[in-house]
Amino acid sequence: MSDDRFELLLREAAQDYHRPPATPREELWARIEAERRRQRAAPRVVALRPAWRWGLGMAAVLLLGIAIGRWIRPAPQTAAPAQASSAAGARSDLGYRLAAAQYLTRTETLLTGFRADARAGQLDSQFVAQARDLLSSTRLLLDSPAGRDARLKSLLEDLELVLAQIALLPAVRDSADVELITQGMDQSSVLTRLRTANPAGRAPVGVQGAL
Amino acid sequence: MDERDLIARARAGEPAAERALYDAHVDRVYRLAYRLAGDDDLARDFTQETFIRAFQRLDTFRGDSRLATWLHAITTTVALNGLRKVKRFRTRETALEAADGVAASKRTAEPDLKTRLRDAIDALPEKYRMVVVMHDVEGYTHEEIATALEVEVGTSKAQLSRARAKLRAALADFAGEWVS
Repeated sequence: MSDDRFELLLREAAQDYHRPPATPREELWARIEAERRRQRAAPRVVALRPAWRWGLGMAAVLLLGIAIGRWIRPAPQTAAPAQASSAAGARSDLGYRLAAAQYLTRTETLLTGFRADARAGQLDSQFVAQARDLLSSTRLLLDSPAGRDARLKSLLEDLELVLAQIALLPAVRDSADVELITQGMDQSSVLTRLRTANPAGRAPVGVQGAL
Repeated sequence: MDERDLIARARAGEPAAERALYDAHVDRVYRLAYRLAGDDDLARDFTQETFIRAFQRLDTFRGDSRLATWLHAITTTVALNGLRKVKRFRTRETALEAADGVAASKRTAEPDLKTRLRDAIDALPEKYRMVVVMHDVEGYTHEEIATALEVEVGTSKAQLSRARAKLRAALADFAGEWVS
């Protein structure tokens, strides 16, 4: 059997494979224009489900309660040395920083994986569950002393938006939804900022990046 | 007018330049979308999506490749994602067994090479089908295919070779038509 003849026959016969009709130029242009107009007009709004609003509200209230409790905690009976007070403050601060570092590492892992899978067009539903989990931590961190750092606060707010978008992805996903999220990530450079805020390495937490 | 000028004007948001770019490329984009989808509605959707994405991302087009190649890369991505979405892959991803099954069958009473070829191409694994459609049906070069599918030129050639081997096996009972 001749390879050349087969190729020739294949190319000839293949011309009828899904032979396209004439291009509906004007109709397609009208559709493209209409869709672009619609996209320009539509505001990008992230609407939280009622359950999430309640959940976030309750977490915020809980944190507020803890914060007030700490603030009005009576001073020790015996006069504590200033050094001890300062050391306690530093320990508390370090705790928040550690929590923030862990959170940022997990979020970076999630978003890196999400973007890679989104590009490949194969999204795992685990991302949604993880984003929901991280979303509550984001709010807690924003309301903690870690949120006083302006740079970290801005990053956390952007992450909250991205995580909320991922958390709200429906089971049957539209590629446009996923693309909007990845575009938003690129526009706000969240991954770059995440890596800057929480660089990889063994240096002690608290002396790196935003932490 | 030079395409680079058109691109620059389209980037600046000039509608006439966008329309000119669309006119210059829509035929090949639609043809490719149709060949891949085999369905007019889907082909229209994919073409629409391709141009919307292209206009959105025109700022990111660096000019390393031709605009046509860049557009066809978007088209293949959109089409692949779209076809996955409508789950057409399920029938096509039956791959080898399906193609081999056709090969093993006896020639039927009304053999029609084109029909059998269409079925055999449809039964190819998607990456092979993509290369066959682009190269043997639409006449793209391996370099263009490699750019569009983000693979090496050698990969494109290897996939075409394997795809042809499968098609040859699937159409074995038509061998008389190409054996001289």
